[in-house]
Amino acid sequence: MNKAQVSLRKKDILGLETMSVGEMELVLDTAKEMKNIIDRDIKKAPTLRGKSIINLFFENSTRTRTSFELAGKYLGADVVNISVSSSSVAKGESLRDTLLTVEAMGVDIIVMRHEAEGSAQFAANVVKPVVINAGDGAHEHPTQGLLDMFTIKQYKGKIAGLKVAIIGDILHSRVARSNIWGLLKMGAEVHIAGPQTLLPYGIDKAGVKVHNRIEEALDQADVVNVLRIQRERQQKGLFPSAREYARIFGVNAKRLALAKQDALLMHPGPMNRGLEIAPDIAYGDQSAIQEQVKNGLAVRMALLFLVLMGGTHIETAN
Amino acid sequence: MKLLIKGGRIINPAENMDMLGDILIENGRITAVGQNLAVQGAEVYDAAGLVVAPGLIDMHVHLREPGLEAKEDVASGTRAAAAGGFTTVACMPNTKPVVDNSILVSGLIQRGQTEGVVNLKVIGALSKGLEAKELAEIGDMIQAGAVAISDDGGYLDNTRLLRTGLEYTSMFGRPVITHSEDEGLAGEGFMHEGAVSAMLGMKGRPAVAEDIAVARDIMLAEYTGASVHIAHVSSKGAVEIIRQAKRRGVKVTAEVTPHHLTLTDDELKSFNTAFKVNPPLRSADHVEALIAGLKDGTIDAIATDHAPHAFEEKDVEFRYAPSGFAGLETALGVVLTGLYHTGKFTLSEIIDKMSYAPAKILGLESGVLKAGAPADITIIDPEYEWTVNCINFYTRGKHSPFESRNLKGKALITIVNGSIIMQNGEVLK
Ligand SMILES: [Zn+2]
Repeated sequence: MNKAQVSLRKKDILGLETMSVGEMELVLDTAKEMKNIIDRDIKKAPTLRGKSIINLFFENSTRTRTSFELAGKYLGADVVNISVSSSSVAKGESLRDTLLTVEAMGVDIIVMRHEAEGSAQFAANVVKPVVINAGDGAHEHPTQGLLDMFTIKQYKGKIAGLKVAIIGDILHSRVARSNIWGLLKMGAEVHIAGPQTLLPYGIDKAGVKVHNRIEEALDQADVVNVLRIQRERQQKGLFPSAREYARIFGVNAKRLALAKQDALLMHPGPMNRGLEIAPDIAYGDQSAIQEQVKNGLAVRMALLFLVLMGGTHIETAN
Repeated sequence: MKLLIKGGRIINPAENMDMLGDILIENGRITAVGQNLAVQGAEVYDAAGLVVAPGLIDMHVHLREPGLEAKEDVASGTRAAAAGGFTTVACMPNTKPVVDNSILVSGLIQRGQTEGVVNLKVIGALSKGLEAKELAEIGDMIQAGAVAISDDGGYLDNTRLLRTGLEYTSMFGRPVITHSEDEGLAGEGFMHEGAVSAMLGMKGRPAVAEDIAVARDIMLAEYTGASVHIAHVSSKGAVEIIRQAKRRGVKVTAEVTPHHLTLTDDELKSFNTAFKVNPPLRSADHVEALIAGLKDGTIDAIATDHAPHAFEEKDVEFRYAPSGFAGLETALGVVLTGLYHTGKFTLSEIIDKMSYAPAKILGLESGVLKAGAPADITIIDPEYEWTVNCINFYTRGKHSPFESRNLKGKALITIVNGSIIMQNGEVLK
């Protein structure tokens, strides 16, 4: 790896809307090096020894939290998880109070997951430690966006010029938004498709191509990213039934065949097999879903490293 | 006591007057408006180079008293009004308890006299407790001095009750002021629904929710022959619906806020809760329609919807923050900066919208500069440049979407009932 010429401009990682192409490339390049560490027998680099990271999760997410936890530990940092139940919020402890408490403990990085859009920005305004957004409501999930781009690059060698189809519940998906920002900036053509009730009003102005028939989005796609459908959306009346969703909007082998032969199938997990994605393709030849998990770890290691150590070379990674 | 305001540019939209001249005030009333008035024993205020206007009237403020004094009270709210150049404010009844009976109306009027520094007009609730179930004692409140009736603070979704309220209130020659936004449609949202909300992932409040409610309220006014005043219009659809209704002769008036005239939903990208308000800041096409509607008279008045909150309440995640912010101390500067200095409106048009028009809607005798009228006068320096700093506000609401902005235009003097109560930004009482 070359000595990085760029470094991250801002203290915090809040979203891909505000990240430049150069910064994203830096993260992806660094993640490549980090992936080597994961494959080693002894997965411990002393790079972040003496640094402390707090995973501050206001919403449950075993997957993302574990990924951040291992990423920190592989790099030698001390990692603590704090799950804040809504009960402490009910007791009147404000987000500001919680953040200031965490800050007072001397942490270097706060990784935060919270149900409200903009909460990561709020945290960044309140505290001095680095804030990494691990998902703020339906706004952004930048590390997922980066790991998806990393995965695409790994298989396709590039992002620019690819047709990427994002299928499903765009309305409630922070994954979709981070993907849209990141992929558009990197030069991909982004198609979104799903029931109109799960596409945000006004999204057509974001530079994406919008479809209701998923077949149109899948047609000749290089990458198919299927989003998780939460069953509560049906109870809220946004689509009539799981059965109808699977029939009309579910991605199955027949529909996947509309995409390019070597199209990559992705999903941020956890999957509802048989609803948004058919079981046979979820772990089929085209699926990169397992690899995404591993890449998520690499990308998060890269980010933790970059936000604390700047854009310099990783001496410990050889 | 006599006060002579000399050599100012007198702008009195009620009589299409825009001239250099003097105004004489005696015992709380204007006694003469003319040129070269020479008066013995009068205190003289030299207004050369300044604009002398009828006192500004804000027909839509939330003073939070009774019950919510941590946010604001009559004393702090009317001082904020005076600082902003307002000589009269009308306060909404969504307090704790709700102002839904004549005792509370009288009590507030009295508080205005003892604690307030500007004229305080009171708006009574349409429904008891704002519960949208039964009519409040509207007649009794109006006889006690209420100038209008409103369940503002939220949408009155009981259409039958609104019909009854309109009919009943019309007997007393007063308007019903409606907060028109279909809550069932908009209620889950935190901001305008559009391209910005789509990418922020925030639930939106669609403009059509306002259009629907405005159409409903106007159709009821038309059907019953009653007067309706649409508060804080923010959507282009609503502007067009009001425009057509006025052409048909429906008794409808409307107001728009300084923030809806000058800000768009792009501001929400910062997630700054100072921009959270209902109805929400909308996209540029809506803002243009509001300006056009104000210009052609579809929208009659500018009102602040001054809605202060305690600092901690706004200092939270965007979705949990209450809607609204302080408006009294920035209104004139914002309007002059956004509408006058951009060449869109004349000073006379702005003073009409901020004084004469609201006076007419509420049936007040102020809003004019002529012998016999109350001596409520605002002296304005339209060229005065200043920077908004919420910490210095008289209101307890220390949040403003205009924080740190440079504005051009400010009230230098506020005269209420013949006494100078604010001079150069400082409230004297
Ligand atoms: Zn209102």
